[in-house]
Amino acid sequence: MKREEYSSNGGYGPRSSRRRFVQAAGLAGVAGLTGVAGCLGGGGGGGTNSITYGVISPMTGPYGGLAVGQRNGAELAIKHVNENDDLDVEITGVYEDTEADPSTGRRKAQSVVEQDGASYLMGAISSSVALALNEFAQEQEIIYNPGGAAVPITGSNCNEWVFRAETNTAQMAEAVSDYTAENLGTKVWFHIADYAYGESVMSRVEKRMKDGHDIEVVGRSRSQLGSTNFNSYISQIANSDAEVAVLGMTGGDLINFVKQAASQGLKESVNLMSPTMTFSVVRGALGEAAYGTYGGVRYLPTLETGDNQSFVEAYRSEYDADPDNFARSAYMSIRMTARGIAEADSTDPAEVKDVLPGLEMDTILGPNQFRDCDHQAMNPVWPGELVAPDSGSGPAAVKLGDMIDGVDALPECGELGCNL
Amino acid sequence: MSVASAVAEQVLNGLVVGMVYVLLAAGLSIIFGVMDVINFAHGELFALGAYFAFAIAGPLGGAGFWVALVVAPLLVGVVGMGIERLTVKRLYGRDPLYHILLTFGLVLIINDLITSVWGKSAQPFPIPAVLDQPVALFGFNYSLYNYGIIIFGSVLAIATWLLLNRTRFGMIIRAGSEDREMVRNLGINIDRYYTLTFGFGAALAGVAGIVLGAYQNVSPTMGSSVIIPAFVIVVLGGLGSFRGAVVGGLFVGLVQTFARTYAPFLEGLIVFLLMIVVLVVRPKGLFGTNIGAGEHHDGALLHGAGGGVLSSATRAKIGYAAVGVLVVVPFFAELTGVTYSVTLLEDILIWALFALSLDLVLGYAGLVSLGHTLFYGVGAYASVLTLLHFSPSVFVALLVAVVVCAAIAWSVGYLSIRVSGVFFAMITLAFAELFYNAVFKFDFTGGSDGLFGVDVFYGLAGIGIDPREFEIPLGIMTIDGGIVQYYFLLVVVVGSYLLARRLIRAPFGSVLQAIRESEERASFVGYDVTAYKRRAFVVSGGLAGLAGGLFAANNGYVAPSFLHWVNSGEVIVMTVLGGMGTLYGPMIGAGVFVAAEDILSSYIDQWQLVIGVLFVLFVIFVPRGLVSLPQTIAEQPLFDSVVRDRAKVNDPEVERHD
Repeated sequence: MKREEYSSNGGYGPRSSRRRFVQAAGLAGVAGLTGVAGCLGGGGGGGTNSITYGVISPMTGPYGGLAVGQRNGAELAIKHVNENDDLDVEITGVYEDTEADPSTGRRKAQSVVEQDGASYLMGAISSSVALALNEFAQEQEIIYNPGGAAVPITGSNCNEWVFRAETNTAQMAEAVSDYTAENLGTKVWFHIADYAYGESVMSRVEKRMKDGHDIEVVGRSRSQLGSTNFNSYISQIANSDAEVAVLGMTGGDLINFVKQAASQGLKESVNLMSPTMTFSVVRGALGEAAYGTYGGVRYLPTLETGDNQSFVEAYRSEYDADPDNFARSAYMSIRMTARGIAEADSTDPAEVKDVLPGLEMDTILGPNQFRDCDHQAMNPVWPGELVAPDSGSGPAAVKLGDMIDGVDALPECGELGCNL
Repeated sequence: MSVASAVAEQVLNGLVVGMVYVLLAAGLSIIFGVMDVINFAHGELFALGAYFAFAIAGPLGGAGFWVALVVAPLLVGVVGMGIERLTVKRLYGRDPLYHILLTFGLVLIINDLITSVWGKSAQPFPIPAVLDQPVALFGFNYSLYNYGIIIFGSVLAIATWLLLNRTRFGMIIRAGSEDREMVRNLGINIDRYYTLTFGFGAALAGVAGIVLGAYQNVSPTMGSSVIIPAFVIVVLGGLGSFRGAVVGGLFVGLVQTFARTYAPFLEGLIVFLLMIVVLVVRPKGLFGTNIGAGEHHDGALLHGAGGGVLSSATRAKIGYAAVGVLVVVPFFAELTGVTYSVTLLEDILIWALFALSLDLVLGYAGLVSLGHTLFYGVGAYASVLTLLHFSPSVFVALLVAVVVCAAIAWSVGYLSIRVSGVFFAMITLAFAELFYNAVFKFDFTGGSDGLFGVDVFYGLAGIGIDPREFEIPLGIMTIDGGIVQYYFLLVVVVGSYLLARRLIRAPFGSVLQAIRESEERASFVGYDVTAYKRRAFVVSGGLAGLAGGLFAANNGYVAPSFLHWVNSGEVIVMTVLGGMGTLYGPMIGAGVFVAAEDILSSYIDQWQLVIGVLFVLFVIFVPRGLVSLPQTIAEQPLFDSVVRDRAKVNDPEVERHD
């Protein structure tokens, strides 16, 4: 149902093999061909900048619950951009399922580029799929907005075609590190799921906590990604001197850990903190078990930043639900990129990618930009405490701590391993 | 806290995890052990139990959990009986292999139904308030619900054991698992008992889903996360031994818990190491009996080969035509602008090679390898590592991939070919899982992200083609590196097919088929059966490694998902779907599978449901695979005369789809 009509790809026509032109793009003369494709795109839409945006999300598999938000957010962004008379951009959306698998994700990306003429791509959540698409975007010379938070996507694996509106793990570490050291304890236990995201949380948060605070790491443990039993680790933490446990895990791993920790009484002796604890799927699945834990905040529908409230209202009327972080980041990705297209007055990704870095614009998280040197959006972040909602039961509410501005939250490019 | 109470606490933790495993494995042990059904859908029945409970408990409030604990398993039991009646029943007497295809389809169907009713996010299913508190016993705080799991699991295990060993129902079930014909001759309607057994096993899965749903969470992926551990426990404990499943579950729980504290590096590996050691030392498992082991490979394998309506000359012509079509596709794609068809075709060719490699052992030697993705993944890693560190030449990379995989296949074969049937399937699965979990742990494999940024060179020592710089303008089109990549792939895949065909037509192939038909007779005639099987396994592993290496070189990256067990399942599905025991059947199967999934998932949100239903229908009605379709149709007396002519026209289309 989701694929839009083939013929509506904005005047690109039967483009004779983007892949083949582009693979030889290093050669003089071929660049001209890509330019022709760009002109055709501009001409076909009758004066407007018409593009096709491929949105590929892990609809099936472990990230399915998050992918729904991502797809909805993208749909809404495309609708709003098309309705906005001030923005001279016309977007056609094409939606595909990556099945949370890098091979499938890459093939689907190829499909939206070759079959639907997409020259802009948004999506993926897990870092392995996002990194595969990073490479793909560079090969194809198309703009890609990743939905994953791992640092290397705009860090050591960054490239000039990737623009990320999602808040990365380093920014989240800024959100929670001072707060944790100052309020939750200085004797820290790190428990992470044994994969790139977990390692990235541990290294960033530890580095930042040690920066200006006298903290002691009393223990570390790693569980296999996708584990379902954590009581052995919970006992180890309970029997240590830890005052706070920093959990570098997300989704099902985090839900299972916190639920079992709560029933084993760990919350009474140790503060639990995870950068993704405030995610709506986590709060929704944990219910009361999440009360009294702490997390970082990338996004909440209650935020009063930028034009968030009109976004939330529009989202509610469209989908009958509150937007989550993934809806927010997909929405921001496409809207921010569309502003770049309007600014460049060209649909050619090669021109847009030169205009977009450092371009100031208003977003649902307030004034923002893709930073010049790594193309990471400078989103503000917050620490948060999960408390019982006013109704007394159901998913925890989030008590926001002090906002950390985008400029302060994002470490130097060099430190994150990228210099564009 | 004293050391003693810390150890005591970890023992308790181990018992909880162990009981969790017992609950998971109990139902599977009965279905798998007694009925010989490799039920991949067990995990989804487990999830269904949790979701039914979630739906029942929510509106009822406080007492809801307890009502759900009784009602939900009954509902799952009814679903189970329905599944047995409609699908599983039709496959009795066939090799357990077909259950893999069938239950794979059921997994997709049930999972899709769950997400369409309850959504894709995890749902809240709290521990009942009475049990949701820590209690201080033996000098430490411990969750009351965890104590509850231990007690509940024990009671359930004992009750099931009594049911199987002390009741008439259990006696008939056990007798039926040993000699179904005899039981039938005694005037007992054994089929009815099998339906009940399947329902009972499903209900046990449902109970586990509820108890663990409250302990963990209720989400659409909860089923797939438990299925592998459940198989491990059942096999480790001993097939057909309920006692084995219980002891095995507790044993694994304790070992795993202590390893987490004292040998954290082994996390994720220990369970599979344990499984391999147990199966190598004692193939029948800790408590298995010989009766179970002997009985488990007498089902009929249905091959696509032989008795086809097409003459071999016609088939050869179709083969040439298919290759011809594959050769011209890129030009056609360039002219029409449908270049994505080339991309899709590249993936299909690689999967076709992978399926071909599996078919050599599955279709020709009768060995069900449930861990074949081991070779695909290792081949991919070997080729990327070679390209990154040693040589940019794709020839060198693929050679390394083949050699490494053949060597691993030899070692795995050396350890496991002695065990047959289901045990071989499980030991290969264990090896694959071992490697899957291991790649997360090392830096040189790139951890969970994998390895990226590989450029290939189609040549040796600087002489050859660099696809990034290759370009020949040809009038209206440009031939560039993408074309080189495609034709190289095509040559390798067609070459591998010809090699496999040569091998199968040689005496080696005849011996393999003789072994497949009757291992005993082949060995009486004087062939070293084990050596032949191992050689076939080495060739197969090498070819699977070639497929993985090709994919990695083609796409320039590798990730842990290349080693995920789902690939092993999918390649079996492709092989059976296409028609095993013919070399081209599995390749057609791969084409249909990959293309169908790609196309359906683009247009239909419920694509899993559609594919699942297709699998189920296929395994029931066309068990010999797609290659037998012309014959199946031709054998319909009604359409005999009409269709016999048309079949010849239809077949090339099937080929061309590939």
